[in-house]
Amino acid sequence: MGRPFRDLSERALAFWLLLPAFALLGLVAVYPVVKLFVTSLQDLHLAYGTQGTFVGLENYRRLLEDGRFLNALRVTLLLTLVTVPGAALVGLGLALLANLPFTLKWPVRLGLLLPWAMPLVFAGLIFRWFFESDYGIVNDILRRLGLSPLYWLTDPNLAFWAISATIVWKTSSFVALVLLAGLQTIPREYYEAAQVDGAAPGQIFFRITLPLLLPSLLVALIFRTITALQTFDIPFAMTGGGPGTATETLAMYIRTQSVENLNFGYGSALAVALFVLCMAVTVVYLRYLERSEEA
Amino acid sequence: MRKVWLGMLALGLALSAAWAQQTQLRVFIGGQQRPDVMRKILDIYEQRNPGVKVEIEVGGATSDQQQQYLTTVLTSRDPSLDLILIDIIRPAQYKAAGWAEPLDRYLPKAARDALLKQYLPAYVRANVVDGTLVALPAFADAQFLFYRKDLLEKYGFKPPTTWDQAIRQAQVILQGEKDPNLNGIGFMGNISEGTVCSFLLPIWAAGGDVTDDQGRLILTEDLARRSLQFWLDLMDKYRVSPPNMAEKAQDTIRREMQQGRWIFATLFAYAWAHFQNDPDSAVKGKIGVTTMPKFEGGRSASCLGGWQWTISAFSRNKAQAYQLLRYLSGPEVAKILAIEASNLPAFPELYKDPDVLKANPWFADALPVVLNARARPVHPRYPEIADVMRRGLNAVLARTKTPEQAAKEIVQGLRTIYGR
Repeated sequence: MGRPFRDLSERALAFWLLLPAFALLGLVAVYPVVKLFVTSLQDLHLAYGTQGTFVGLENYRRLLEDGRFLNALRVTLLLTLVTVPGAALVGLGLALLANLPFTLKWPVRLGLLLPWAMPLVFAGLIFRWFFESDYGIVNDILRRLGLSPLYWLTDPNLAFWAISATIVWKTSSFVALVLLAGLQTIPREYYEAAQVDGAAPGQIFFRITLPLLLPSLLVALIFRTITALQTFDIPFAMTGGGPGTATETLAMYIRTQSVENLNFGYGSALAVALFVLCMAVTVVYLRYLERSEEA
Repeated sequence: MRKVWLGMLALGLALSAAWAQQTQLRVFIGGQQRPDVMRKILDIYEQRNPGVKVEIEVGGATSDQQQQYLTTVLTSRDPSLDLILIDIIRPAQYKAAGWAEPLDRYLPKAARDALLKQYLPAYVRANVVDGTLVALPAFADAQFLFYRKDLLEKYGFKPPTTWDQAIRQAQVILQGEKDPNLNGIGFMGNISEGTVCSFLLPIWAAGGDVTDDQGRLILTEDLARRSLQFWLDLMDKYRVSPPNMAEKAQDTIRREMQQGRWIFATLFAYAWAHFQNDPDSAVKGKIGVTTMPKFEGGRSASCLGGWQWTISAFSRNKAQAYQLLRYLSGPEVAKILAIEASNLPAFPELYKDPDVLKANPWFADALPVVLNARARPVHPRYPEIADVMRRGLNAVLARTKTPEQAAKEIVQGLRTIYGR
């Protein structure tokens, strides 16, 4: 048996070893993205049997005049602004709680993992029943308290908050898991030293825990923000974007245009808009991460 | 040794011949289309056609959910499905997208004309798109007014023929019963296909329509506004519908009526079999069915439904699939579906069939309703048209838009679609 890689220089060896990974990435990431950009410049509407004539930036021009796109963008950004800090705060609380020296660690960890392990659409369906106006548990509690029931899913504001609460419940456990890992890398000596010096718990948290937790928090925030921008399952299962289009996110509108209306050209332009949004957020975070590492 | 080889060869040949004779077909139906009954029907077909095996793939519970899945399968030219059961609103879209195998390839003109004559004319109109036969009907459907026979009798009411009567009866019964779990008039209001029918019913009943015979948009803002206002008034003015109608899908109302929570409901025919036969039905024998009410001075209008069999353009067994399609769209299957699933037949003579009438006494009066039911707009961009209408009505029912605002947006939305 020969050894095919024996005579290769290190550089060439690296090339050959990386090639399969790059080929795979090209196939599943680069090719679809390029194809998406190309389609977004075409008139590809299956309901007309159009075969993709090049129309330049026509789909993007339409984007700017499309009230439903602007509304979906607004809903998506608002959901991100509410649920990312929400999940970060709740997640931080959960992580600190789980980091306490419990004798039985597994029930705490399990409770932490469960929402994260559950498929998004399940969470959406379960919470839809919670918020259902006739049979839901939330209105049942309100009635028992002598309050009048609310129409959670058909009032645009209430629906927004019901969806936000569900997303925070579902995603804060992911944040908590990342932060818990971060907490456990902080050396115990720091805390012991602080206690010896007589630092108050608040001082310990803001001077030791939080600064040392910052890199983990940033990683969690990047992932959480990107998934928040792509929010689809939970509002889709809870309200279908309703009432009207009041809780329709960008990802939902992309699906409506491409899968339901078969307008793949315009749907692709919408998807490119979401892609650009996600890229922009990632770049901002990465810049910040680089700066904080340099400092 | 040589004998063994020869023996194995002979066995191999025999096996592959048997394999070649065995055809595997796959049909797609929705979750609400009674897969249990469909299995019985296909078992009969398999018995009569040894060598053909038919598998059922069951899709989502609503027409729109099924189509979402089918769009993925069909745009990727997946050959795994041979026959697909599609909603009456889809043939134009299937033709435009090239997803349906034109049936004219198997039916010479004379045979085609003779066959189509047997069906109710509405289904011929729906399935022939620009001269091409895209699909053949499995069963017909239309909206009816389902009502609580026992409650109407208790208060001495006859089944209502106008909406005013229905509203008044509902008010009297609600007042008399004082049951917080009882509601008056149920209709579809969430974001789903049934809500399109809700939006169109008052427009048709007033003599209007979305397009004229040439397919030109004629819907006025005023007619649209009056329709939206009517449904809103049922909640806010007459208080015969609960304030959360924007949450209600057709099957939600069907289930609630089954628990005894509605006096009236506008539903499609399938509900009957559930009310009569489901083990958990609290309203067995207490439900009556009548034609949809009129408006004072208007006409009775119902929304035409129904499901069609089409051959996937990407099927690899089109000839075999065609044989199965002819069986499934024939009178024998229509009768089984009528008896076991209360599906209205697409053959007029089955409405007089004694076995069918025994299972569904109300079918005796159903034929004129199906004959006069109105079709939703036929257009390759129907999904967009539907979305504009159902989101408009849904927003009004959720009180996020006034009927004026929503009517304006609906007509504008339709103009962009029809204007292209």
